[in-house]
Amino acid sequence: MSQLDILLIILRVAFGAFVPLCFIAVLVWMERRGAGFIQDRSGPNRANIFGFRAGGLVQNLADAVKLVTKEDVIPGHVRHKFYFVLAPVILFVVSVLSFAAVPFADILVLDGKEYMMQAIPTDLGILWFLAIVGFAVYGIILAGWSSHNKYSMLGGLRSASQVISYEIPLALAIISVLIVYGTVNLTEIVQYQGQLLFGFIPMWGIVLQPLAGVIFIVAAFAEANRTPFDLVEGESELVGGFHTEYSSMKFGMFFMGEYVALFTSSAIIVTLFFGGFQIPWLSTETLVNNARPITVLIMLLLPALAYFFVKWINKNNKSHYARPDDPRVREAQVYTKVVWGLVIAIEIVLLVYLIAVSGGPADRILVTFLQILTFLVKTTLMCFVYVWVRWTLPRFRYDKLQKLGWEILIPLALLNIIVTAAVVVALS
Amino acid sequence: MSAKIKILERKGSSLYERLYLFEVFKGMAVTFRHFITNFLDNSKLLVRHYPEVKPEIPVRWRGRHRLTTHEDGTMKCVACYMCQTNCPAKCIMIEAGERTDGRSEKMPVRFDIDLLECIYCGYCVEACPMEAIRMDTGIYSVIGEERQPFVKGLDELLATKGAFTEEEYKKGGA
Repeated sequence: MSQLDILLIILRVAFGAFVPLCFIAVLVWMERRGAGFIQDRSGPNRANIFGFRAGGLVQNLADAVKLVTKEDVIPGHVRHKFYFVLAPVILFVVSVLSFAAVPFADILVLDGKEYMMQAIPTDLGILWFLAIVGFAVYGIILAGWSSHNKYSMLGGLRSASQVISYEIPLALAIISVLIVYGTVNLTEIVQYQGQLLFGFIPMWGIVLQPLAGVIFIVAAFAEANRTPFDLVEGESELVGGFHTEYSSMKFGMFFMGEYVALFTSSAIIVTLFFGGFQIPWLSTETLVNNARPITVLIMLLLPALAYFFVKWINKNNKSHYARPDDPRVREAQVYTKVVWGLVIAIEIVLLVYLIAVSGGPADRILVTFLQILTFLVKTTLMCFVYVWVRWTLPRFRYDKLQKLGWEILIPLALLNIIVTAAVVVALS
Repeated sequence: MSAKIKILERKGSSLYERLYLFEVFKGMAVTFRHFITNFLDNSKLLVRHYPEVKPEIPVRWRGRHRLTTHEDGTMKCVACYMCQTNCPAKCIMIEAGERTDGRSEKMPVRFDIDLLECIYCGYCVEACPMEAIRMDTGIYSVIGEERQPFVKGLDELLATKGAFTEEEYKKGGA
C-alpha cells in the first residue's frame, strides 16, 4: 500500500462520515428557514455570535448546546435500560453507514491505479443501501418497545408495518431500474447515466424510468419517515411517537439520525435517478480532456455568481424597521468581504492550476472536485424537495397509507418491471 | 321565501384528482411561489419584528387591570365584591374597610389581583357597577422572576394610568 492509497482511504472515509454529519446542520437550518419562508414567516434568525447570524445557522449551535447540556433522563418505568439507550444509537449508526456505498465522484485514476470514490469502495452498491437501511426500523421498534409507553409502542408498531409495506415498492422500483442499468454497482450506474439519449437528452434514470422514479421517491419518503408519511411520530395522535420518552442527546441522536437518513435517501435518489455526480452533457472523459477551457469558464462564471449572491445578501440582510446604525447592514458588509475573499482565493488556486500543473493527474483531481460539488448540489436540491413536500402536504391517514402502498405502488411497480423487461429484451 | 341553498360540488372524485400526483404538484407550486418571493426579498414576510416593533393595542384590548379614581383622586371602588364574585379564575381578593373620604360607606383596604391566576376574561370590568376596575392599561406583557410580584396590590393598581383618553374608551364601547 503506497502513501497515496492510505491518504485516499482516509479522505474517502472522512467524506463518507463527515459530510452527512455536516449536512445535519444545513438540513435543520434549511428545514426551519424553508418552513418559515413557505409560511410567510422568517424562521429562526436571531441567534448570533458577536452579531453574526450566518442567515440563522448559528441557531443550530444554540440548539446543540441546549441538547447537550440538558438533563439526560431515563424514566423510572423503563425496565430494559440497555435497549432504551441502544435504540437511538442503532438509528444513528445505520443512517450514517447507509451513505457509505454512495459514489460522490467518478473513479479517480492516479498513477494508473483506480480509486472508487465511495466511503467503502465496494461493488455491492444498491444492495448495501437496501440491506443497511432496513435496519433503521429496529432502532425505532426498540425505542417504542423499551419506552414502555403506549404512545411510543404505537409509534414503533406503525413504523414497523410502514417500513415493511414500503420496502417492497422501494425494492421493486429498484429492480426495474437495475434491469435498465444491468448492474448493482452504483458507480457504474452513474457512469451509465452520463450517456446521452438521442444525442441530446442526458440519460438520467428519471428519463428512462419515470414511473420507477416516482415510486422510489414516494417509498423513500416513507422510509425516511417524512411527511406525508410520518405517522410514526404523528404528534396529534401519538404525543411524540417513538421518541416521547427520550430527552437530551438521546433525543438528539434520533433527531440527527433522521436528518442523516434524509440526506442519504436524497443521495440515493440522486444517484439512481438524477445522474449522481454527472454534470449534464459533460461526461468524465469530456471534462478531463477539456479541463483548461472549463477552468477558464469557471473563473469567469464565479465572480458573476458572487456578484448576484452579494447583491442578494445586501438586499435581505438588513432590519426592516427604523434602527439607528443598523448592525445587520454592517454584518452584510462583512459577509460581502468574506464572499469576495473566497472568490479571490478560488481564482488564485485555479490560476495556479492553469499555469503550473494542468495536464496530467491534476486534471483528474480537478474533475473529481467538480463532480463532488455537482453531487452535493444535486443532493441539497433533493433535500430541499423533502422539506418542500413536508410543508406542503398534510399527513396521510393510516389506512390510506397502507392502501397506497399495497394497492397502488406495488402493482404499479410490478407492472413497471414487466414492461421494462419486455422493452429491454425487445431492444437487445 | 325559502332560504338560499348553495350546493357545492364534492371535490376529489375525478380520475385526475384521484391520481393525486398532479394535485400534489399544484400544491407544491403554491408553496414554492411563497418560498421564492420571500427568499428573494424577505421584506415581504408577514411578520412583525416583535421586541423592536411593538404591536398596536386597540381600545377594547384587555390588558393588565387598573383601578380608576374620581377627579379629586379618591378611588371609585366601593368594595362591593361584584368583581370578586364574578371572577371565574378567583384571582381577585378584596378586603373591605370603612370609608373615610365621605363618598360612601365602604372602600377596599386590600385589593389583590393574582395575575398568574387571571385569565384576562374581562368579567370583572363588566360586573363593576362603579366603573372602578378597567383593563385599558395597554400592558400586555407582565414579566417577573418570582411569583410574588405577580400579585398586584391596591397601590399599584391605582397608580397605573390608562393608555387611552376617556372619549376613546367610551367610543370603544367597553
